[in-house]
Amino acid sequence: MEFSHYAPLWGEALLTILAVLVVLLGSLMKNSGKLMGYLSAAGLVAALALVASNLTIKPTLFFFDTISVDALSQFFKVVFLVVSLLVVIASMSKYTGKGADEYFALLLFATVGMMVVSSSVDIITLFVGFELASLSTYALAAFDRSRKNLEAAMKYFIFGSVASAFMLFGFSLLYGMAGSTHLVDIAAASLANFGPATLVALLFVIVGFGFKMALVPFHMWAPDTYEGAPPLVSALLAAGSKKMGFVAAFRVILIALVALRMEWYMAFAILAALTMTLGNLAACWQNNVRRILAYSSIAQAGYIAIAFVVVGAAYGAMPVNVLNMGPIRADQLGIAGALLLILGHALMKTGAFIGTALVSSNVSKESETDPDDISNYAGLAKRAPITAFCMLIFMFALAGIPPTAGYIGKFVLFSSAIYSGLVWLAVLAILNSALSLVYYLRIISYMYLKEAAGPKIKEQKGYVVALVLTLLAVVWIGVFPEAFINWAMQAAAVLLPQ
Amino acid sequence: MYADYAYLIVALPVLAFLLCLFVGWHLPRGGGFLTVLATFAGLILSLGIFSEIYPDKIIHQSMPWFANFNVGILIDPLALVMLLMVTFVVTLIHIYANGYMNGDPGAARYFAEAALFTASMLGLIFADNLLQLFIFWELVGLCSYLLIGFWYRKPSAAAAAKKAFLTTRVGDVLFLAGIILLYNNLANLNLALKPGEYLLQFPVIYANLAQIAPDQLTLIALGLLGGAVGKSGQFPLHVWLPDAMEGPTTVSAMIHAATMVTAGVYLVARMFPLFYAAPHGLTAVAAVGAFTALFAATMGLTSFDIKRVLAFSTVSQLGFMMAGLGVGAAVGTFAVGVSIFHLIGHSFFKALLFLCAGSVIHAVNTNDMREMGGVGKYMKWTMYTMLIGSLSLAGFPLFTGFFSKDEIIVIAYEYGTLINFLPYIFLVLAAVLTAIYTFRMWFSVFTGKERSDYGKHESPWVMLGPLVILAVFALGFGYVAQEDFYSYLDSNFKHYDLDFVELGVIGGHALEEHVAPAAEGEPVAAKGEHEAAAGEGEAGGEEGPGEPWYIQILPIIVAIGGILTAMLFYWDKVKKFDPSQVTGDKDPIRKLLLKGYYQHEIMTGWFAETVVYGTALICNTIDIKLVDGWLNWLSALVLGFAQHVRKVQTGIVQNYVTALVLGVVVLVVVITLAKEVGLV
Repeated sequence: MEFSHYAPLWGEALLTILAVLVVLLGSLMKNSGKLMGYLSAAGLVAALALVASNLTIKPTLFFFDTISVDALSQFFKVVFLVVSLLVVIASMSKYTGKGADEYFALLLFATVGMMVVSSSVDIITLFVGFELASLSTYALAAFDRSRKNLEAAMKYFIFGSVASAFMLFGFSLLYGMAGSTHLVDIAAASLANFGPATLVALLFVIVGFGFKMALVPFHMWAPDTYEGAPPLVSALLAAGSKKMGFVAAFRVILIALVALRMEWYMAFAILAALTMTLGNLAACWQNNVRRILAYSSIAQAGYIAIAFVVVGAAYGAMPVNVLNMGPIRADQLGIAGALLLILGHALMKTGAFIGTALVSSNVSKESETDPDDISNYAGLAKRAPITAFCMLIFMFALAGIPPTAGYIGKFVLFSSAIYSGLVWLAVLAILNSALSLVYYLRIISYMYLKEAAGPKIKEQKGYVVALVLTLLAVVWIGVFPEAFINWAMQAAAVLLPQ
Repeated sequence: MYADYAYLIVALPVLAFLLCLFVGWHLPRGGGFLTVLATFAGLILSLGIFSEIYPDKIIHQSMPWFANFNVGILIDPLALVMLLMVTFVVTLIHIYANGYMNGDPGAARYFAEAALFTASMLGLIFADNLLQLFIFWELVGLCSYLLIGFWYRKPSAAAAAKKAFLTTRVGDVLFLAGIILLYNNLANLNLALKPGEYLLQFPVIYANLAQIAPDQLTLIALGLLGGAVGKSGQFPLHVWLPDAMEGPTTVSAMIHAATMVTAGVYLVARMFPLFYAAPHGLTAVAAVGAFTALFAATMGLTSFDIKRVLAFSTVSQLGFMMAGLGVGAAVGTFAVGVSIFHLIGHSFFKALLFLCAGSVIHAVNTNDMREMGGVGKYMKWTMYTMLIGSLSLAGFPLFTGFFSKDEIIVIAYEYGTLINFLPYIFLVLAAVLTAIYTFRMWFSVFTGKERSDYGKHESPWVMLGPLVILAVFALGFGYVAQEDFYSYLDSNFKHYDLDFVELGVIGGHALEEHVAPAAEGEPVAAKGEHEAAAGEGEAGGEEGPGEPWYIQILPIIVAIGGILTAMLFYWDKVKKFDPSQVTGDKDPIRKLLLKGYYQHEIMTGWFAETVVYGTALICNTIDIKLVDGWLNWLSALVLGFAQHVRKVQTGIVQNYVTALVLGVVVLVVVITLAKEVGLV
């Protein structure tokens, strides 16, 4: 095997080497924080370029068929890399001193873990990638070492371990039934009926992924952790590692467990309905902005989970003429919608959390109360106009108002639900979107309609760059969605039989 | 080469808008020169395009936007003449505004909004699809709101802006409904679109009109007409236009005379094939237009506010243009040329009149003609340029308005011989009144004794320059351009896949005229459909000279008679009568006109305040008690429930894990049960 054979995986390789390098250099040099930030950003940009050069590659298998590089993996890798890059850019204004090398190294390791998961077609590699990303983020969640950080990380860790245990248990059951860890083999084997054990295996796997996706009732760690962790880490958790749960679930459930379609159709119908409703309801009463965002991201996970229900209902259905885009299969459209919402949500949530990071890092000096309290956002439009404007757009985008990325994702996803006969679910999702305006508009009204709570805030360069880039991406996708819809449709095709 | 830069026609004013908005405060005169330059560049580009594509090419550029919508540029003869007119007139008005707005603390805001308006209007004109046109249409509406309310601290200005916005909104909703209906009908045809074709593109609409059901066409046409009625101030949505005079006079000239209000006429012209194909579509247009023309002219007769006279006159002239399109039922596409010619000519002399009025107001500081008189002594340039504008408006022979307006009256006669004489009678009466009210205004402003102590000075040259240029056009444009203009505009719809004979059959009008000549010689099929369509337009054009001589010269008599009448009443040198001899304060007709047909009393006082408000009160009660009642109950329930949901989150990690395990158990039980029951 020659070196160039692995070209589609150079991105992962580059980031792994860079992460090790960052740790090594960090221990050798003093005050290397700034350099590490630039190094990581450069590495992520390079990796992004490498991934982008194989954007719609035909499925290619590596390492004894355990890793597959295909349009779907590339889609998620782009999402992860973009999120990490934005977080790194914002972090360069915060983590400059001692320990910054560890921070950036952990962040890179987490990114590599997520990328591995998105490519895994074998449950062992998948688990390893999953744990690499999880362990790195456990440490990151406690990174600032405040009381709140530690509590958040602890909860995250305990809950995550339990979920991992469930997932591993589920995997072992799958292996026991199929005699193989490869997804395609499991798919073949699960067509034979193994009795109740298959259902248990399925549900355990769903628990494992549901924890990352933060589906109700596996979501309970999320608000506490997003609130307590350093804000930029929350951005990574909500926007990046949460999406890792989705790609893992897409591959394992839609490919390996397709025989249990009726079971997971039922399970996800319940989970999706519960998740979006409870997420939105709980968000209404929060006063902590990061908690609001946490519940909002739980609700968004509920929307995204609709894709599973759509696939369950319309699996292999005949193509219909949808949205005048020519004949399209509803199940493919459903996954494409979920992917678009994943991409959009990753951007909007990263942006929103970076906004909270900027606010909390600036007001924590002056304010006795919780720096994330919504009262600190009063009059933000006057205090930090760029941040407030970006937050305004992100809130609109999260609520799904056109022309933003959030609207496109929801539009495609909800249409697919209607086309596959799940009108009740689409109606519930749309009602939920309306309900979500309660808390998004509340934040906006604080920022724009209230008297300023203090003097002007200095908006640090790193934060502003990250915010503006995210803003542009969110609006760009909303205004020119065609290319993104096509891309998502290609990625979705990987998961479905042709 | 110029065609490649067509997008700059809109992009440059947008740039000027941004620059004026953000840095205009630091520039001399609010950055007005930026707006002038951007619009002037648009004029140069339009001229370049004109030189490239005249007389038989069109420009069509398009790129996908999303789903089956696109953004694109379509410059055909119709769009091109509009582009030329708008860039030209608006450039002059912007130059004038540099003098007029000098010293206003909001000058930067003015020029930013004016630039945005220019961009929107130009974007509206060269849109290649109906959706894009609608977007710019709305932007134009927004700019008009901003500009009418420019002096927003003045309560009357704020109210006028609100009124304009809300009234046109009624039309816009109808317009949108028409677009949706049209889209739906086109989508239901399941057309096989070639690459680069999109459903709402004009060529696609034209090509597939014949397949849409006639009753649907009528509905769509009425929806679009609703939009046009709102934007072009036609009855009954004309009420906002006179009030819109609260804005700076340049705004009145730019928006409410020369450009924005013509958007409605442009829409009908652009969609002329649809109106032609829709049964009763053009009848509605002709009825609305002719009625508005007369109705508004009568009100222009009694107003004392110089700008309101001009505003009523604008409404009336827009009625002429609408009626000109409407009588296209009899003469085919020739009507588009006639109507648009009047639109262009009107924009020259109406912009001129408004700018002259602005010049007068600038000096004497009042709008009330009762406080003017004898102004001509101090403002020679303004007086003579305004005389040219007035003669043109009145339709005095050889002035631009004569050529354009009289042709409308002539084709209305033709419509009369074939279908119905009412539009013709209305238009002739309106033409008499036009001449009278125009010269009533001119004589009472410029001649006679000074009726109050006003400022006596001529305006600066930055204001007079545009007046002179516009006066040249108001004088000579009609004579120079008429024939070429008609034949150029007549070729407009030949660029598309259209068969007016077939459309006329669907529309159910003028059957004898169009089918008969084709059937005369050879069978229809042998003659070729396109030839038939092409021949029909020319036939309409040649019929003009065939009218009886008294129909030909009647408009001249009408115009001169009207001017003489005004002279006898209002020019102190030959005054024979006093208005009070004909009418007094007690005269019910005068009172009726002064009160504007009690529109305010009927529409605001009775309809709005009694009927609508009463209904609103009842609805309000129902809303509060019933709708809100259960909604409040629901939201209280939801939020109450939400509070409980929140309590689940105890912060204790043991509980979390318990919830997780419980969740798995419940799922297992539910799914197993569901399978047992046979639900899945």
